[in-house]
Amino acid sequence: KLRHHSITTVTLLPDIISTVEFNHTGELLATGDKGGRVVIFQREQESKNQIHRRGEYNVYSTFQSHEPEFDYLKSLEIEEKINKIRWLPQQNAAYFLLSTNDKTVKLWKVSERDKRPEGYNLKDEEGRLRDPATITTLRVPVLRPMDLMVEATPRRVFANAHTYHINSISVNSDYETYMSADDLRINLWNFEITNQSFNIVDIKPANMEELTEVITAAEFHPHHCNTFVYSSSKGTIRLCDMRASALCDRHTKFFEEPEDPSNRSFFSEIISSISDVKFSHSGRYIMTRDYLTVKVWDLNMENRPIETYQVHDYLRSKLCSLYENDCIFDKFECVWNGSDSVIMTGSYNNFFRMFDRNTKRDVTLEASRENSKPRAILKPRKVCVGGKRRKDEISVDSLDFSKKILHTAWHPSENIIAVAATNNLYIFQDKVN
Amino acid sequence: MEVQKEAQRIMTLSVWKMYHSRMQRGGLRLHRSLQLSLVMRSARELYLSAKVEAHEPEVSLQPARSPDPRLHRPREAEAEAARLDGEQPSPEPMDTQEAPRAEEAPPRGGPRPAKVSRKRRSSSLSDGGDVGLVPSKKARLEEEEEEAAASPEVPDRLQPSPAQAEGAFPNLARVLQRRFSGLLNCSPAAPPTAPPACEAKPACRPADNMLNVLVRAVVAF
Repeated sequence: KLRHHSITTVTLLPDIISTVEFNHTGELLATGDKGGRVVIFQREQESKNQIHRRGEYNVYSTFQSHEPEFDYLKSLEIEEKINKIRWLPQQNAAYFLLSTNDKTVKLWKVSERDKRPEGYNLKDEEGRLRDPATITTLRVPVLRPMDLMVEATPRRVFANAHTYHINSISVNSDYETYMSADDLRINLWNFEITNQSFNIVDIKPANMEELTEVITAAEFHPHHCNTFVYSSSKGTIRLCDMRASALCDRHTKFFEEPEDPSNRSFFSEIISSISDVKFSHSGRYIMTRDYLTVKVWDLNMENRPIETYQVHDYLRSKLCSLYENDCIFDKFECVWNGSDSVIMTGSYNNFFRMFDRNTKRDVTLEASRENSKPRAILKPRKVCVGGKRRKDEISVDSLDFSKKILHTAWHPSENIIAVAATNNLYIFQDKVN
Repeated sequence: MEVQKEAQRIMTLSVWKMYHSRMQRGGLRLHRSLQLSLVMRSARELYLSAKVEAHEPEVSLQPARSPDPRLHRPREAEAEAARLDGEQPSPEPMDTQEAPRAEEAPPRGGPRPAKVSRKRRSSSLSDGGDVGLVPSKKARLEEEEEEAAASPEVPDRLQPSPAQAEGAFPNLARVLQRRFSGLLNCSPAAPPTAPPACEAKPACRPADNMLNVLVRAVVAF
């Protein structure tokens, strides 16, 4: 819980943030935006000289990952918006990440350069060729220190494998393969091979008029490289084992909760669509987010989740208005903390919610500049659902539905969270005194 | 009447959203289209059930209309679908009156073929005189079976909880509760058959076509 002094940094980015992801050590934090840019933040190393800047995240690298493209065959523009970023575990000095838009996945290498070779024989210091007649001696070029430069280079481009819009990418625990999922298909790639991918799930019906559900998210198991899950727009999750068959159309496990008849409404079908699915770090549980709830499922129990948390149930009676203003289609993500004891997800009015699975307590916090002075304690917020509104409460009708927190990330081991509120990236760090 | 109006409003709104989603950057999104068509279908079922419940022939509301007013709905939907081609200015989303749609009621087979010729939307022709491109009878039969199978679920699915009475749509929720508590006791065999059978039958087919039109309009790339 963020009860103690928190360090807050707020960074205004040039565009709406569309994805946020810590790397495996938490040293780096990547954001992708609607304009196709990736901005990477790096945590400052602790140093005696700069006590106050200890652990702060600062911009490390910025690059344009995707550009708008045009599909001439379909007369469609392909958005450059970054849908997902996933890091590869670090294996050498360079960092690698996957970033994807609707159609193309790219592998980027981010590396540092802090030395520069000087003293070439054939070129002068500006790089111009020297007149060979003027060269009378030979010397060995030496590496001299230079200002740190961080460069990002695209190492692989995985294109033309998706007819529909990519919603997820997930790196396999074998670190050799990854998958990309669109509305109807999931493809398995090898990092080294860009001109081929294996199709491992295909739910496209022979007759598109019979289409009843689409794939909404997919993820590999954190430890078992043969296992992955994918969620659907019908609120179900399928777990597949790639050892069973090449095309995983038949699931190994099928997770579905029977519908609660008392909650049936006109919009029941669409609010049951799962917008995100995440394995716990332990690999024993999966968490799913639909429009109003977050659910935790035990992999060993398929017929219902073991925990259900109400994110903003006061919206249940507003579904028609939310349909009118399109908010009902918002896709919220959800995250686990490092120890899988707390889960977090976003809501409206720049609120985000945390649920402690052990104590069953929950808190609503707000990402706003007014409430986020550095070293200030984050104050819990409360939404008043009816009747008398207390002083600090906010009524449902006053909520700002244009301020939505769809993307959040939790540091893999510490109590540091990143919250994307439109163009602003908030990083809250819990410093227990 | 309230239920019908609200359901009609939702249907119109949904079609407008479908149209708009086509114009967005990145093209038609399959998931969004599917969700819109689901709401559309629910609204249509609600509309039909409410209409059947009403026991009032719609003819009395629109004296100038041609015999079966239910046939106008597919015209409306078809017109909306045809407009998705961008050949007409965007439809008025909130117009729930049937009168302005008189312009779209012209004899079938008139300007229709020209409007839909560019896109492969054969189903939109199937309910008009422009059959011939698609063997529509089979599809219709399948739809009817689907309808019959789906209808017992309708009242259950649309039954809101009392807690939903407050909020943005209080009237609809209350009306839904009133109307569907009756439907729950009906036999699950078919859509409510209280009105004369001849009225119930044609009610299925045009509605099917509307779903056909919409679903196909939605999934056609």
